[in-house]
Amino acid sequence: MNDNNKVTGTPVSRIDGILKVTGKADYSTDHPVKNVAYGILFKSTIAAGTIKDIDTADAEKAPGVLAVITHKNAPKLNVRGGLRGGAMLQSPAVDFFGQHIGIIVAESFEQARHASRLIKVTYDEAPAKVDFDKLANDAVRPKDKEDEKRGDAKAALSTAEYKIEEVYATPIEHHHPLEPHATIAEWNGDKLTLYNSSQIVNGAQQATAATLNIKPENVRIVSPYIGGGFGSKGGQWANLVLTAVAARMVNRPVKLALTRQQMVNSVGLRQRNLQKVSLAATKDGKLTALAHEITTHSAIKDEFVEPCGDCSKLMYDTPNSLITYRVVPMNLILPTYTRGPGKSTGSFALESAMDELAYKLKMDPIEFRIKNEPERDPSNGKPWSSRATVQCLREGAKAFGWEKRKPEPRQQREGDYLIGYGVACGTYPVHQRPSSALVKLKREGSNVTATIELAAADLGTGTYTILAQTAADALDLPIGNVTVRIGDSTLPPAAGSVGSVGAISYANVVNDACIKITDELIARSGKQYFARPTASQVMIAERIDTFQARADSKAPEGADEYSSHSFNANFAEVRVNASTGMVRVSRFLAVTGAGNILNPKTARSQIIGGNVWGIGMALTEESVVDPRWGNFVTRSLGDYHVPANLDIGNMEVIFVRENDTISNKMGVKGIGEVGIVGVAAAVANAVFNATGKRVRELPITPDKLL
Amino acid sequence: MRPFRFTNAKDASSAVQGLTSNPNARFLAGGTNLLDLMKEDVERPDELIDITRLPLTQIKAITSGPNQGGLSIGGLGRNADAANHPLVRQNYPLLTQAILAGASGQIRNMATNGGNLLQRTRCPYFYEVSMPCNKREPDGQSARSGCGALEGINRMHAIFGWSDKCVAVYPSDMAIALAALEATVRVRKADGQERSIAFADFHRLPGDTPEKDTNLNHGELITAIELPKNRFADHSYYLKVRDRSSYAFALVSVAAALEVKENRIVQARIAMGGVAHKPWRALKAEQLLVGKEATEANFRQAAEAEMADARPLAHNKFKVELGNRSIVRALQMAFNGGKA
Repeated sequence: MNDNNKVTGTPVSRIDGILKVTGKADYSTDHPVKNVAYGILFKSTIAAGTIKDIDTADAEKAPGVLAVITHKNAPKLNVRGGLRGGAMLQSPAVDFFGQHIGIIVAESFEQARHASRLIKVTYDEAPAKVDFDKLANDAVRPKDKEDEKRGDAKAALSTAEYKIEEVYATPIEHHHPLEPHATIAEWNGDKLTLYNSSQIVNGAQQATAATLNIKPENVRIVSPYIGGGFGSKGGQWANLVLTAVAARMVNRPVKLALTRQQMVNSVGLRQRNLQKVSLAATKDGKLTALAHEITTHSAIKDEFVEPCGDCSKLMYDTPNSLITYRVVPMNLILPTYTRGPGKSTGSFALESAMDELAYKLKMDPIEFRIKNEPERDPSNGKPWSSRATVQCLREGAKAFGWEKRKPEPRQQREGDYLIGYGVACGTYPVHQRPSSALVKLKREGSNVTATIELAAADLGTGTYTILAQTAADALDLPIGNVTVRIGDSTLPPAAGSVGSVGAISYANVVNDACIKITDELIARSGKQYFARPTASQVMIAERIDTFQARADSKAPEGADEYSSHSFNANFAEVRVNASTGMVRVSRFLAVTGAGNILNPKTARSQIIGGNVWGIGMALTEESVVDPRWGNFVTRSLGDYHVPANLDIGNMEVIFVRENDTISNKMGVKGIGEVGIVGVAAAVANAVFNATGKRVRELPITPDKLL
Repeated sequence: MRPFRFTNAKDASSAVQGLTSNPNARFLAGGTNLLDLMKEDVERPDELIDITRLPLTQIKAITSGPNQGGLSIGGLGRNADAANHPLVRQNYPLLTQAILAGASGQIRNMATNGGNLLQRTRCPYFYEVSMPCNKREPDGQSARSGCGALEGINRMHAIFGWSDKCVAVYPSDMAIALAALEATVRVRKADGQERSIAFADFHRLPGDTPEKDTNLNHGELITAIELPKNRFADHSYYLKVRDRSSYAFALVSVAAALEVKENRIVQARIAMGGVAHKPWRALKAEQLLVGKEATEANFRQAAEAEMADARPLAHNKFKVELGNRSIVRALQMAFNGGKA
């Protein structure tokens, strides 16, 4: 096919868009399951200790109640089966405030919720570790993270002419997808069907089976649509398997949705990080040392540490580098992957420090970065498969009007508003993960239609659409002739929609499957062709009614000899009210080198989504723990401030052209994660440029600018 | 939520009688706050009397009585309608601004004017039933009595008028403007008679009884809010400082209204939100401004005099400086006719 006729690379609107805006797309609890009962979780009101007794008598007698399940009557589960966060009603131990300690199942949701308030729990309370800023000194090296040293950063810092040594703090954040975690569990004999939003369909299947000690083939995950996940629906949590347990115990399908208030201690969080970044440079702006020392917290029984030092490993050329992690266990729910895990938070520290040092050096922060652009990945010496940082900075500066920026702060003012510009870079790794896909072709007369099947996930970002585009091109069919079926564990296994591997892994395997089905059809025809025919041409010529082929794909040979990443540069213009300290991001531009962009429309939306969260991270989002009791005091979207429409100004997205087929044949690099990386730093740097105030503790709320 | 009986009130008289006969009944109007609180088990009524069909939605000029020449706003009218009514926009732009600074479009379409005044605090310790709260569990009556915020997370809490029983703040924006405008709340009593409550007397400071937000008696129905005639329309402004630009409660808000003659302040009204258990009238600042020239120095002097009495908590010391700046800024904006 002629490249000009390709549908990939064109701004096709979401093929599932109409279903969604008309309410016809079935999210987890929308699936029409008959005779369903309703479950609700109830939670501990202490952060550490043991349940002495749970009195469920009144709850059991309440109207409509079918079952009350606690550690006293819950079946034995394998808590190491791959679900995250524990809290599976296996013991009376309480490790964090709001840990699940039971489920009530009733005829209606409100009956279940009412009954949950009739339960009386007594505890033996133990001292709780819930005040991170006091515990930070007790943090130790994580089990799986060695200190990463190149050269001698400390020595270089001690003799440096120009340096920055600062601590950057980020708060606990929650994913808070619009669709809370919700499940319908239905047993049919030994077979369990779980309607459950899952970023990793096969992962949810495996973990559920292992936890319940049943065969994976007896577990089916159905997850056609996901109402946002941001990492919290990657690994699955106890609520999934507890719904299955409840359904078994009441011998009926059970629907269990978390309330918004329950989200804060059920499905992970992004932990608070204290990041000390030390940078040293020569007078002319060549970096001589970079140290990034991270202190954070994890759960009592499990360890998860965000890789906040990842950006620092490879963003800049420096002979001396040090990256360390220290972690302290706390009585809080297990932290987990959260959009741009490690990179979004780590880049806030690194890219703020770069801005601080550039200011000290009296260098333009763009020129300072370009001066320290590494030719190869400094962390491992591998060549880049492609790296667009410089191009992103240059093109972005031009498009944004960077030349209008005043190097000194407080130099741009309009009435009551101080105006500032900021820049910051970001990156996220590129990986193709093993995935399989089935292509089924069907001919009716001279019309051939295709169905693509794989257990992929669509977070709402456009997986259906890009796979239809990919298949339409590879099969030379109109996009309307392609149906995509994903989000079901009975389909060929596929990677998750996590870590920016979704589009890369899915598009490549679908493309491979389409090439393979064409090859097989040509072979079956037994004919020699002057020009390679399309699959449908062979189907029509040979009068084949149905045909299918499956591909199993993984990263190409030699991909790991290169360092493959998406890179971006973010530009923010802020307007800060000089009286009140309120900040508004009036303009934001993200320039991204993310390889082959399969659909510029959905890709743009996804980048903007990441940017908006990054702005929220910079200005508004914070989950606050009461340091006495370990409860979150920010439990609703009225208290946990994601940006509102009015917080967001003009958003612009530019993709730098790249043709990088080293990491994968399709040249796709992934955009889900990189969109948030570097955003908060760009905003914070712009706030400094506007006000002269360097805020190193996010979020930048008005009180910090008075 | 707990099971409850639900009835539709046919008229004001039966609504009031229904509520009076059951101490654990509540009126249901827009439901934008009450239903949330019931879901969280904070409010536990066993009966809801739906009053949304009562004909108390009108906005009309007052033609007799002490507020003659003013405007009467029906207690069951919707916030959005009040904000956008031409007579409100024209004569009481401060009220329009304040209403539109609160909540979201959807909530303002549901919420009623009377219900807005009866919003309960958004203190997180009030909202989570496992936490101590004297407002939810009156002092001494329960193991959950106490104040979680006094020594807890209190960034959003009061700097004026709090007691060691309660440091919560009152959340409404609309009411801050009504306080500055010295509105009157018209109430239908259990005996069918009406009474008027001056706005300053409507809400309470917490003292030893933080469970009582207002001086409304059980069974009384807000029929209207009356706005007296004034000369503030050209010089008023509602400033709301918050953690995001929309759909967030005030860190500090200021409703400022000035009557100005040849650059001299004839009359000043300042009410603050986000700082106390009720709309906080900055009376000291107001008195200092009367007769003065409308200058930044005078605004600042007035603001500082008011804020000198603030008693901040561990996490909200910033509200003192923010209060200072916000009063000055709101007065400047009011003086300039709402323009920067």
